[in-house]
Amino acid sequence: MSARKIATWHEAGLIDAATRDRLLAYETAHARPLALWAVFGIGALAIGLGLVSVIAANWEDIPGQLRLGVHLGLIAAALAALLLREGRLAETSPWAVEALVFVTAVLGLTFFGHLGQVYQTSSPLWQPLAVWLALFAPLLLLSGRSWPAALALIGGAVWCAWDYASSTTGYGGMRDPSLGWLVWIGFVTALPVMFAPLAAGLRGRSTRPDFWRRLEQLALAYAVAGASLACALASAGGFGNSGMTKEWASLATSGAVALIAGLGVVLARPGTSGRMAGAIIAGAGLAGALAYGVNDVVVAAAALFMALWVGIAAAALVAQWRGVFQLAVGVIALRLIVLSFELAGDLLTSGAGLIAAGLMILGVAWIAVRVSKRFAPRDEEPEA
Amino acid sequence: MSRGLQSIGRLAAVLLPLAGLGGLWVMSDRTYQQGTEWEVPIDGFDPRDFLRGHYVEFTYDWPGVEEFRDAPPQMLCLEGTAPQLARVTAFVDAAAAEPCAHPVRADASGVYGWEGLARGRLYLDQDRAMAMQQELQDADQRGIVTIRQREDGSFTAIAIRFRPLTPDERAIRDAQNAEPLRPPPAPPIMVAPR
Repeated sequence: MSARKIATWHEAGLIDAATRDRLLAYETAHARPLALWAVFGIGALAIGLGLVSVIAANWEDIPGQLRLGVHLGLIAAALAALLLREGRLAETSPWAVEALVFVTAVLGLTFFGHLGQVYQTSSPLWQPLAVWLALFAPLLLLSGRSWPAALALIGGAVWCAWDYASSTTGYGGMRDPSLGWLVWIGFVTALPVMFAPLAAGLRGRSTRPDFWRRLEQLALAYAVAGASLACALASAGGFGNSGMTKEWASLATSGAVALIAGLGVVLARPGTSGRMAGAIIAGAGLAGALAYGVNDVVVAAAALFMALWVGIAAAALVAQWRGVFQLAVGVIALRLIVLSFELAGDLLTSGAGLIAAGLMILGVAWIAVRVSKRFAPRDEEPEA
Repeated sequence: MSRGLQSIGRLAAVLLPLAGLGGLWVMSDRTYQQGTEWEVPIDGFDPRDFLRGHYVEFTYDWPGVEEFRDAPPQMLCLEGTAPQLARVTAFVDAAAAEPCAHPVRADASGVYGWEGLARGRLYLDQDRAMAMQQELQDADQRGIVTIRQREDGSFTAIAIRFRPLTPDERAIRDAQNAEPLRPPPAPPIMVAPR
């Protein structure tokens, strides 16, 4: 809420000076410094990426033991600071705690790379990532306050699951993965979605609701991205050939995991918002599982994709998420445009085809804007 | 959750990463120091990996083994007096191998999977990786990797060096290079352009 709005209300005679001052005082006391959070988050992210590069440069002139000692010492110092000072620091500047937690976790991750350099151990990436998750997930879950920690958790889990899947079924791994193995891979790659019910359950009880909200959002985004990717793969006819996408059973397994996660969110967070978030995750699971059935059927694959996003738009409408609604409308419009190219591929060589495609794009864009304006929920917090 | 339980949880969450990373360090150090050193000729090239930085990737050129075709062997038996490798015997099926004093095995869960005996890598600093890349392209010298081979068949590449080709090797290389340079024989019948 902006101070400008309150001043306007006062000028219009809606509120008196005393009310205006009380409102302003309340807003100042309860404001969430979004810009500050963003700056700290981006700063922490930059430090993390910088650490990866600095370690990766491999300073051979300094003895390995000394380098590792300094590295572990830095981690120990950061952990000690968190253990002894977190409470006090969090009262004055919670974003500093968040940045410290994130940088500590990245320092831990780069330690694996450092060990690999000094001792020439070259295991597939998922192995150090899995050990890192086991060692640092408790810290991130107990101290995370915003999106950097949530991103580290979900990002680490997703990266680990997919590297595991690709290095065990792809080149250098199993030459001909069995059905059982593919089901297992489907299960593993869907596991990061299970952060959603966990976050939904803890959101109401924790003193750090923002962290759990971000965690739930990221898990939801992963489910939707996975289902959208499955639909896109189906429209390109990518299923049934080889490797991970060979069998329907692995997709059905992933779908079932997402369905359970969605149900978990609904149960853990009663209320419209929780029900709709759960419905989106479950719907993503269903769409992902059905994608195998519409493999290489252009219109059906596009329809499945759009059904998923119409569902998301509907859920956003019910839960009053303006941004999500507009995103969904935009995605559906884009998919329609892509579909027009897919269907009119042979006509496109002629001018008439191009004109028709152009008109269709304009029409779709126009309808999308109208729908978005007419049906979008009112923005509760207008941008300042 | 009670306050006491909560602070124990916090303490555990802080100590777990430290203990885990420290333990890994000790374990890696112990494994690295063990084993017999052998020198293996190689060919090489260089990509890099996100987390660990620059490395030189190479293909082993085990003496006594023709190029691996189709299925690379899963076990090799090293013969000679370390570090001089005289010759190796290859076994495609590790289970069917004869008793062997110095075995090396492909680690199926390793980064190269079942190609673990065909390819390897060595992490280097940025500048040395670049210099090494140049050296590996020089046809007049031979890359030699020192590996540490342990009794259980696991092994680690620990160093890389170069030596000039021996006269025999030079002759073989020249023979190989000369072949494609010979002009093709003239076609028996010339067809006039239409």
